[in-house]
Amino acid sequence: MANKPITGEQRVFMTGNEVIAYAAVMAEADIMYGYPITPQNEIMHYWTRLAPKYGKKFLQTEDELSAGFTTIGGVLAGRKAFTATAGPGNTLMQEPMSMAEMMRIPTLLIVQQRGGPSTATVIYSQQEVTMTTYGGNGEGFRIVYSTSSHQDLYDYVIKGFNTAWKYRFPTFILGDGYQAKMREACVMYDPAERGIELVKPTPYMGAPGTPGVDRKPSHMRNTYNTEEELYEVVMNLAKAYEAIIPEVVEFEELNAFEADTVIIAHGVVSRAAKGAVKELLAEGEKKVGYFRPITLRPLAVNELREIAQRAKKLIIAESSYGQLLKQIKEAIYGTDVEIHTILKPGVGITQEEIVAKYHEVK
Amino acid sequence: MAKVVKIALAGEGGQGVQSVAEIIAEAANEEGKEAIYIPNFGVEQRGGVSIAFIQISDEPIGSPKFEKGDIVVALSDRAVRRTRQYVGENTVFVYDSSIEGIEKDLPTNAKKILAIPALEVSKKELHPRVFNVLIMGAVLEATGVVTIEQAKKAIEKKLGYKFEKDPSLRELNYKAIDRGASLVREQ
Repeated sequence: MANKPITGEQRVFMTGNEVIAYAAVMAEADIMYGYPITPQNEIMHYWTRLAPKYGKKFLQTEDELSAGFTTIGGVLAGRKAFTATAGPGNTLMQEPMSMAEMMRIPTLLIVQQRGGPSTATVIYSQQEVTMTTYGGNGEGFRIVYSTSSHQDLYDYVIKGFNTAWKYRFPTFILGDGYQAKMREACVMYDPAERGIELVKPTPYMGAPGTPGVDRKPSHMRNTYNTEEELYEVVMNLAKAYEAIIPEVVEFEELNAFEADTVIIAHGVVSRAAKGAVKELLAEGEKKVGYFRPITLRPLAVNELREIAQRAKKLIIAESSYGQLLKQIKEAIYGTDVEIHTILKPGVGITQEEIVAKYHEVK
Repeated sequence: MAKVVKIALAGEGGQGVQSVAEIIAEAANEEGKEAIYIPNFGVEQRGGVSIAFIQISDEPIGSPKFEKGDIVVALSDRAVRRTRQYVGENTVFVYDSSIEGIEKDLPTNAKKILAIPALEVSKKELHPRVFNVLIMGAVLEATGVVTIEQAKKAIEKKLGYKFEKDPSLRELNYKAIDRGASLVREQ
């Protein structure tokens, strides 16, 4: 049996879904659980082609609730398990993911956002931001990476497994239908050759030995009897989550801490935003900057506040009716920066539109 | 800023626009250029207008979709109506001359409009199955984004296993791409 599909550095030209399947193999994932939904189907398809060659497994479940819970089961057994979904499937995933939040289970869920609400389109959107960051009945103790390119998909799927297993919070890769289906180039590599150490999974349950005799019993719990008992548990989760924020937060920026007008976007829209800012800078506009939160949860609150205190105007562009906007407003609460928006639920945003908006509001 | 060539190809599901787009994008990538190809599709299993967006540049490309194409190709009546929105003052708009009933729907703001008899030529001179390859030849002639040679290599990569079984298919595909290019040259 072959050891790894990628050795050295390989430039490839393929769809994002295929890139994700390769990245999961290279991250030494053991098993994928999944239920089909466009536009993430091909993650499953490519995984099922690759998995048997590398001694890995796949289980198709009867729905997304089951795919989420079986992923948790895989993790409890000490396997690097993951799943992928989109749209209405992501809605169903919220129940297992809130269980993972409660029990600190390092699941990895890849979301390829499609249009909403409900069935809507199978194409593209950024309308699953609120659900992926704060979905389920809980407090949103999760880590969410918003990717913008195939290179990001490869890098962050590998990183995502490490983040999940290192910090033991459910981790999400938030892509979208464009990233899922488009073809572009990216460089695949063996993480070991780049000095990236993969965190080894360990079982939560069924470890060798006798519980209470030669090891501690494994006591997994998501049900509590008293208000006070639950309060203590959730406050401990909050404390643990807040402690890791400085290590986990990621963002990208261009001239954002010097600019009067800062364009903020995440995911695939950030490509248009960055392109717009580069174009404007090249045209001689000096006071324009770009900021892209890579982690949407936790968000780079300190940096956003610094920008909001310094800049005069923000332009927030997203393919939803204000899901990122809401989080940014919360982050910069109390500052008096002027906010402008391009909000296009379920529709792509081009560089031209952002440049035009800048000229309109500057 | 590096020039980005933007191409939109639209036709009925099954006409092969997505395959052509994939081959063009792969050929550009093989030439060492940056390329993005994104298919646009609805929930239907069959039928419906299928659009492919391609962008090719010497530098990394920003947003996967664009407002106005450099070349927009429409291969059915519905595709003509659907792609009007991607036509601007710098757009070359190409449609098949056999499409009927679209006289009033043709864009009025294009830089140039080309009606090419691709369907007729593929039927009479070649084979209907290479209609899309003929269109690819036309697109490459109109944009120069990749050389015809590179495109042939990309076709070989994609369909080589079929050519092995039946070498006349290779000949047919190569003829179609050359003939498609000539349809644009003759305009």
